[in-house]
Order: sequence, then C-alpha cells, then structure tokens
Amino acid sequence: MAKVRNWQLGRDMEYPYVADRPAKQFTMIMDTNKCIACQSCTIACKSTWTWGKGQEFMLWNNIETKPYGFYPTGWDVNVLELLGEQEWDGDDVYTGQTVFEAAPAGERVLGWAPAEEDWSHPNIGEDEPTGSADETTYIPDKPHSLMWMYYLQRICNHCTYPACVAACPREAIYKRPEDGIVLVDQTRCRGYQECLTACPYKKTMFNLETRVSEKCIGCYPKLEQGLQTQCTTACIGRLRLTNYLSAPDEVDPRKPADFLVHVRMIALPLYPQLGLEPNVYYIPPVHVPTKYLTQMFGPGVERAVEMYRNAKDDPELLGLLMLFGSTERIWHTWDVSDGVARAYDEDGEEVVAVPLREPTFTRPFEFATEVAGEPVTGFRHNT
Amino acid sequence: MTASCTNPFLLAFPTTPIERIHDTRSDYEILAGAAAALADEIDEPRMRAYWKGVLDGDPTPYLQRVLSGSNATRGVLFDDLHESCKDGVPLLMNARTYPRHAGWEQRQEDKPWYTPTGRLEFYRPEPEWQAAGESLPVWREPVDATFYEPNAILANRRHPSINPRKPEDYGVPESQLDVETRQYRNVVRTWQELKLSKHPLTEKDPAYRFVFQTPKYRWGAHSTAVDSDWIAMLFGPFGDPYRRDPRTPWTGEAYAELGPGDAKELGVSDGDYIWLDADPEDRPYRGASSDDEYYDVARVMMRVRTYSGMPRGVIRTWFNMYAATPGTVQAQKDDPGGPAQNPATGYVALFRHGSHQSGTRAYLRPTQMTDSMTRKAYFGQQIGTGFEADVHSPSGAPKEGFVKVEKAEDGAPDGGKWRPVELGLRPEAPSDAMKAYLAGEFVSRTRKEA
Repeated sequence: MAKVRNWQLGRDMEYPYVADRPAKQFTMIMDTNKCIACQSCTIACKSTWTWGKGQEFMLWNNIETKPYGFYPTGWDVNVLELLGEQEWDGDDVYTGQTVFEAAPAGERVLGWAPAEEDWSHPNIGEDEPTGSADETTYIPDKPHSLMWMYYLQRICNHCTYPACVAACPREAIYKRPEDGIVLVDQTRCRGYQECLTACPYKKTMFNLETRVSEKCIGCYPKLEQGLQTQCTTACIGRLRLTNYLSAPDEVDPRKPADFLVHVRMIALPLYPQLGLEPNVYYIPPVHVPTKYLTQMFGPGVERAVEMYRNAKDDPELLGLLMLFGSTERIWHTWDVSDGVARAYDEDGEEVVAVPLREPTFTRPFEFATEVAGEPVTGFRHNT
Repeated sequence: MTASCTNPFLLAFPTTPIERIHDTRSDYEILAGAAAALADEIDEPRMRAYWKGVLDGDPTPYLQRVLSGSNATRGVLFDDLHESCKDGVPLLMNARTYPRHAGWEQRQEDKPWYTPTGRLEFYRPEPEWQAAGESLPVWREPVDATFYEPNAILANRRHPSINPRKPEDYGVPESQLDVETRQYRNVVRTWQELKLSKHPLTEKDPAYRFVFQTPKYRWGAHSTAVDSDWIAMLFGPFGDPYRRDPRTPWTGEAYAELGPGDAKELGVSDGDYIWLDADPEDRPYRGASSDDEYYDVARVMMRVRTYSGMPRGVIRTWFNMYAATPGTVQAQKDDPGGPAQNPATGYVALFRHGSHQSGTRAYLRPTQMTDSMTRKAYFGQQIGTGFEADVHSPSGAPKEGFVKVEKAEDGAPDGGKWRPVELGLRPEAPSDAMKAYLAGEFVSRTRKEA
C-alpha cells in the first residue's frame, strides 16, 4: 500500500499503487438540473460502442432516477451498506474509511459482486418520487422534504485512484498517462471479474461473448480529434461538458473544469467518500434534501446549490454553463462580454459564441423576394 | 423536411449518400409505383404524370410546392434549404417574430383575432353552445373517468348563462346513464350534490372504483418504434434484454401504475400481473364473453408498478405501447417462454394480453361538431364556419376510463414477489439499508462549517 493524496477527502489515503497523475485528466461535468432522462446519451453510447453480441445488457452510459433508480440493481445502496455510516469533519476532511481502507484482510478493495440479474431492469425506478401522494401532492417547502426525485447521469468516473485498477490481478486495466482515461486491455484481461466486484460505481462490465471485461472508454477516438464524447454531443438538454481537469496543485481558473470544480466548487464528485477521486463532477439538484445530497456528493452541496440558484446574476458562471452543449469541439477557455459568452481553442481562436439572453427579432408584415428568378410576395403572420 | 407552428426553424434532413438496404422503397415511391402500374392497366397517363417527379427520381418539385404553398415558408427555395441543412444550419420560418410569439400581431398591433367580433371571445352565443350549457367555460365531469356522476356540469345552477337542454328535453330520462347517452347529457350539479353521487358502475359493483388514464409517454410518439429491443428495455422498470422472466412479452413490457395504498388494499405487489376491466357494456368489446375465442386477446393484462406519485383511486398506463394481437397471444401459447411475437409478421407486442385501449374508448363531444362556429382555416389566414379538420371537429382520442383490477399472477416467475421487492429496494417494503439510504444516513458531519 502507498500513501496518496486525495484532494476530495482533504487528506492522504492508502492505495495499492503510488500516485501518478496524468498530464491532464479527462473529466465530464454534469448539470443534473437540466436532465429530463430522455436517454439520448444512452442510445448514442450504445449504438456507438455496445451494440454487439454479449453486450445486450451493457450501458456504459446510463441515466437513472434517484433515489429509486439503479443500474445495476441496488449498486449504491449496497456499497454504502457495506461501508457503514461514515463521517466528514466539517466541510474539509473525510474522517471515515474509504473502500481501500475498509478492505477485508487479503483483499485490496471492499466490494460486492453483482448477480447477472442485477443488470436487468436498467431503468427501474424511472420517474419515481419519494414519499407518497396519499399524504400530499402540494409541496410548499424547498428543498422538498416529502416528494422529490432527480436524474443521475452515469459514465465511468475515470478515477484518479480506480478500484478496478487496484483489484485487477492481471494488471490489465490502466490509466492513460496522456489524459487519465481508464481502459481495459482486452488481450491481457482473463475475465476474473475482480474489477466488477471492486468498482463501487459498477462501471466495468463483463462481455458475455468475449468473456472479458470492458467499460466506458471516454470516446477517446473522438477526444484525440478534439471532439467531445458521444453522450455529450447527443445531449438535447445541453447539460454535459467534456473537458480536462488540471492537477489540484496546478489549477488554472481560466479553464472551464478547473473553474467549476476548484474555483467555484459548484460541481461535486459522486460519492467522494469511497476514496477513488472520481473525475465526473455533478452540479447537484436544487430541490433535494441536503442530507441525501451530502451522502451522494459530499459536504459542499449547500454552497453549490446556492451558487447555482444565483447563477443568473453571475455572468462568468452563467456564460460558462450556457456554452455546455453548444459545440462538438472541446474548448479550453472562455469569456463573457456584451451579453455574449465565447469559447476559445488552445490557440485562442473562437470556437463558438452564445448569447446569454435569447434575442427577439421583429420582421415587417409584408415581404417580397425571389424564388428561382420568380418574384414572390406575401405577408408574414405569427398566428 | 419538417416544420411546425411553434418551432422557429425550418429543417430538411439531407439526403443520405448510402443506398437503401434490401429491396425497400419509401412510402411515396410505393404510391408512385402503384399509380404507374394502374396508369398502364387502365390506360390513364395522367396517373403516371401525377407522380412524374418521383418516377424520374426527383421529388424536389413536390417539396417546393409545399414550401411555396405555406405561409411561413413561401420564398424559400428547397435547394437552398437542402444545401444549408447539409452544413447543419436550418433556415428561419418566415414569421413576424423570432422566437415566434403566438398572437403577437393581435397583442402588439391592430390585427383582429379570428373570431366574429375580432376580439377574444369568452362567451359563445351560438344556440348549440347554449343548449350544451357551455356558453361560458364550464367544468364537466369526464364521460367515464370520474368517481361521480358522469359528464355533469359543475356549476351554481342558478347562473343565467348555464341553462342547458336537459336529457328530458331530448326524450331521455335523467336516470339513463349508459355509455352512449351520457356522452351528451346536460345536467347541472353543485359540488355539494356531485360529491355525494357515484359512478353508475360503482353502484352496480364497488370493485369499479379506479379512474384509468393512458397519457402519452416519453418513449415514443405515434408509431415510432417503441417495440425496438433497446427502447423496450429502457421503457420503465421491467426491461431485460434476456427476458429472464419467460412470461414477459418482449425486452420490456407494459405496466399499470397504482399508488402504494391502493395496491395494498387490492392485495397486489409491485411487479405482479393484473387483469384490468372497464365497463363491460362495451369493453373490451361489445358483447364480450370469457368463452370467446379472442377474449384473452382483447382483455388487458399488465404488470403493476407501485408509484408513490399516483393519487388515491387513479391508475395510469402509458399510451402507444404495441397491443397484443391474435398472432402474439397464439405465439406465447405455442412457444411457452417465447416472446409475444407473431412468427408470420415479426410484429411484437408489449402486452401479453390486450392493450391500454382495452379499458378506454372514444366519445363524441357535441360542441366540437357544430356548423355555426366561426374559426380559422387549417391553412392560411382565411376565416370560415363549421367543420374544419383538426380545428373544429371531434377529437375522439380514447384516453381514459373507469375500471376494476384483480390480481392475475405473482411478480416472480415461480411465485412470490418480484426480485427487487425481495431485495428491499422498492417503496413497498424497503430494507433497513434502503431506509437509511433514502434518509441520507450513511454519512454524517461532525461539525458544521464555522
């Protein structure tokens, strides 16, 4: 075991390998508040990567309704139950145990093996709220204490300290040094499925045809061309940003992911207490009880929710959020001036511009034009 | 090519460079081909000439006619639209404003509304509307989907503008409440009276006590392929690409949503199968008998999902899922454990028996069928009166009913509860871990931020 720094926990922790951060880290930022669970991302991913034999059940990307949705069945309830009740010391330091520190003797990770049936019902719990309409359908308080639900967007977290890497007896899983994407070497893997037991997010999957494991590859062939992932560009809610995160001691506030994660701290990791330093970050939903959100995203949720509520008065943040989903290209910096947000590539060239407020244009009632050399006149109507 | 009243953009899907797979034709090629064959058969060259563009391999002239004939797309050349859309840039619809605000000319300028007076009208003086008691906007109970007296107008009966022709005026006793006559039944009730009344089916059999609604759902519209295996798998809680429960019709299946309180009273668990029956007078069909050859094709069986968001007494099933047919029901009889797929056609159902429409029917609304109503034309800005398709005409979408429910089968294939219920992950019987999870108790903070 090595001592590694996990900035999300505010402390060092045990991990089987020494820390070796990539040059830059693939990250995805999800604005949970914009998701309608249309599963366009799921289908875009599946039709690109997991349409083959043995992959029928496989959703590298999935959307689940929280709290009753799971893919696979019960994944987060199970790992939280295994780990037991844990503590944060205030907002800064996690004093509980990680899945590495709580591992049983002789094991590297505390985990559980999903049954084959657990991969059934990938959309169980869809749209299901807590509470009961028998009691009330009127919800006066915020966050909603009685009835609430929201959608959680899930891909592989391409963790800084992946449990799949820690658990693999073949060293078949590795983290790319250039962008931190976690990949399974299909020729080294022998299908022991230790990674399925270890990954608390259950984002490695066993191909029933090839008999080896596979997982989300962060659409690296697209990234290598400077393009955002399939799930990002297919998102009609424009809630995702594919980008890169700097190492925690090299934060650059001009970069969008660094700004959201480290500067404004509006985007939070998924179950940081598990200790993997996951690299997908979530802007938490604004209507859900803090206690549940703290369990899922750590102690920063109240601050993040308040910041999101005030984003309309914060042009820098608002502009960044509006640039989500506005271009297929990966962009590197942005600015906001005269009511327009602009994104730039690594050379400072403008990639896309988005107005903060949709303008209204009015056209004259009568119009005259030409179609194929013939004059066309008429009147414009809205109604 | 696609456009709509509310979408500010005009789009064309660029023609694909990929050749069609197999020996397939698009709809308009089939129509043109049939017309050409008939032209030769009966020696009528005009039938071929009508489709000349398609038969010559260029449908552009027809698309251009649509563009030139429509108010908000006149002046657009199809080739320009096509070229622009190839680059991913749609054109703007030629409306007064972008975005398109409905009623903008009426609100911002002096254009009249499309009514006889040119003003917004909230009182309908036509005799048919007065006879219906609907000269003012009023609330009518649904014709079927109500706990109370069907189709009653809820109002203070002394209101001078709500004075309809009563059933007796048409020679029908007020007590006659069969499914046909109550479509046009003008009785006025105060809430004090209405809340004491009962649906006529409940009077006969108290098991009839559920309003059944079948709204459109998020997984398909009209005839989009809701039976494709991936979509069915993602549709609701019962998806499984491997159909591990051999009873399931496909990789997903239809379900009825009941509130947990109602499910408990009925003795029904999450994941169980139920039978659902509406008014036997006309559903699942007129004169139905359980001895009939196709009775179990028409009577609906579904899974149950207990859904905390359902109010008491309301059951919901989503619309558009593919219905059982004689072929799909026979297929599951011939091949137990196989899908509900007709081997002759490939058609696959998302129901083992029946469909959401086994419990609903359409009703006609007299005020949608008058000849005196002034309204806008379907196309353009002309004003006319009377029938106009999709503007002033009956819209008989069968969407709701009044039903009873009985348990058909256990949720697990070999008896017992559906696996997620057994695991304690469902609201019906949450495990201690699930309760702690819902309350967020797996994490605590020892001290608050200063």
